[in-house]
Amino acid sequence: MRPLTMPRDSIANGPPAVPVRAAPPMIAIQGVSQTFKTAGRKDHLAISDINLDIADGAFVSILGPSGCGKSTLLYIVGGFVAPTAGIVKVKDKAITGPGPDRGPVFQEFALFPWKTVLGNVIYGLRQQGVPRAEAEERGHKLLAMVGLKGYEAFYPKELSGGMKQRVAIARTLAYNPSVLLMDEPFGALDAHTRTRLQNDLLDIWERDRKTVLFVTHAVDEAVYLSDKVIVMSRSPGRIKKVVDIDLPRPRRRAELLLDVHYQKYVVDIERLIEDAPEDAVHP
Amino acid sequence: MSAVAGDGTATARIGISIAPFAPLLACLGLLAAWQIGALLLGTDSIPTALDALRAVPDILGDRSGLANILDSIRRMAIGLASAVVVSIPLGLAMGRVPAVASFFNPILMVTYPVPKAALMPVIMLWLGVGDLSKTLVIFLAVTLPIIYHSFEGAKAVEEKMIWSGAAMGMSRLQIMARIVLPAALPEILAGCRTGLVLALITMVTSEMIARKSGAGNILFNALDMGQYDTVFAMIIIIGALGIIFDAAFDRLRRALVAWSDTRQDIPLSFS
Repeated sequence: MRPLTMPRDSIANGPPAVPVRAAPPMIAIQGVSQTFKTAGRKDHLAISDINLDIADGAFVSILGPSGCGKSTLLYIVGGFVAPTAGIVKVKDKAITGPGPDRGPVFQEFALFPWKTVLGNVIYGLRQQGVPRAEAEERGHKLLAMVGLKGYEAFYPKELSGGMKQRVAIARTLAYNPSVLLMDEPFGALDAHTRTRLQNDLLDIWERDRKTVLFVTHAVDEAVYLSDKVIVMSRSPGRIKKVVDIDLPRPRRRAELLLDVHYQKYVVDIERLIEDAPEDAVHP
Repeated sequence: MSAVAGDGTATARIGISIAPFAPLLACLGLLAAWQIGALLLGTDSIPTALDALRAVPDILGDRSGLANILDSIRRMAIGLASAVVVSIPLGLAMGRVPAVASFFNPILMVTYPVPKAALMPVIMLWLGVGDLSKTLVIFLAVTLPIIYHSFEGAKAVEEKMIWSGAAMGMSRLQIMARIVLPAALPEILAGCRTGLVLALITMVTSEMIARKSGAGNILFNALDMGQYDTVFAMIIIIGALGIIFDAAFDRLRRALVAWSDTRQDIPLSFS
């Protein structure tokens, strides 16, 4: 991976650690496979023997055709789904279930409709026993950061899709997870909103450089955002190739679109995906 | 009661200005039809609406009459409240834990079609004709719809919403109380509303079978003695109770689930 050019935000990450030995990766996926029972009671191997290390502070995308098991892999890292084989370690400790060190953001937003925007954002903090006043102060800051200042008292049903996803991002950032797990977060949004959220996500990420695992099927999105793109093949889902995206940061969309290196990454990865066999179709 | 609701919607569609009064107009229409019908028939067993209405203050003004009605309401409230307390957790657990659902589903399927008032004679054998039997029958009648709706509501809660809570560090029990319960609340309250009406119906039938006190007791005793004015006055009182309870509950429901997308506007309400 290209060395980070931006200084770490010392507030978010504490004082710089004294390097002792080679730091373990933030996430270590070791020999993970997942088998599902299909409707016909047959075993279906969704993902097979995934091995992957993700460094602390890296923005990594998992890219692949639908049905390649990329979301399943993310759910396994989140602890929402138990793998049939293999283990996932976060900060060198094997996970046993979901935890506040890994914050998910879903395509479906999954906001709590009975809570206001602010209520959603502070739900995790209140759960962890943070006093209301303190939680609300943090909530206000986060909502300002995602561009939703003034919408604190709105209910989710009153918001557009893009705004809902902004709330969901703020809600997850609120409890300060070490890893953001993003499951096609912009997949349900229109092109314009999608672009704006991509830009804003990068801005937010530049501030404290959390580790991000980002599932998408959009090649341009993956290249634009990521340090590393994991290209998966389907049937069963395996890692086809890991592509390091060596483009300078902070990235500006307008410049990037004209950049030959960026264009080459997109074209190369698209070719990689096109090579995947199309015969096997999965729901 | 459903006839009143139907008239209400029909009237409401005619013009916005009369919409708020539509349920009231429907009631007046019903009373007018009754008055004309009774006058045309001219039999003793069907008093006119006016005669029946005149008997209402007599019953409510009478100390024992009022005490009887309050007895009924007390039993109904206790039966309903205990059913709510038992049924919601059970329904939610069934909706989220497959093993709980597999255990209780067959039991509920068998008991569902049994009219709970039909159990009254058996229950009376064990528990007598007092409050306990009648409250228990109300409880039994009300549990099923609330369990069923809580079950359906809990089942429909988006998986990702639950995952979001789990990622915040919530335990399974906390997820039940703080995510599944509020998310399923609109559905649960729909069940409670059905339960409320069933509680009223069962209240009257239980008092018909075990006459000792209550609104049903007055009604059926009056019927035996041929006091038709009182019979119909009691029908009006019970109907009015139904409308008042339902409207009050609907207000509560709206306040509780104002956040919900699925706004069920129910024409039968004066709120």
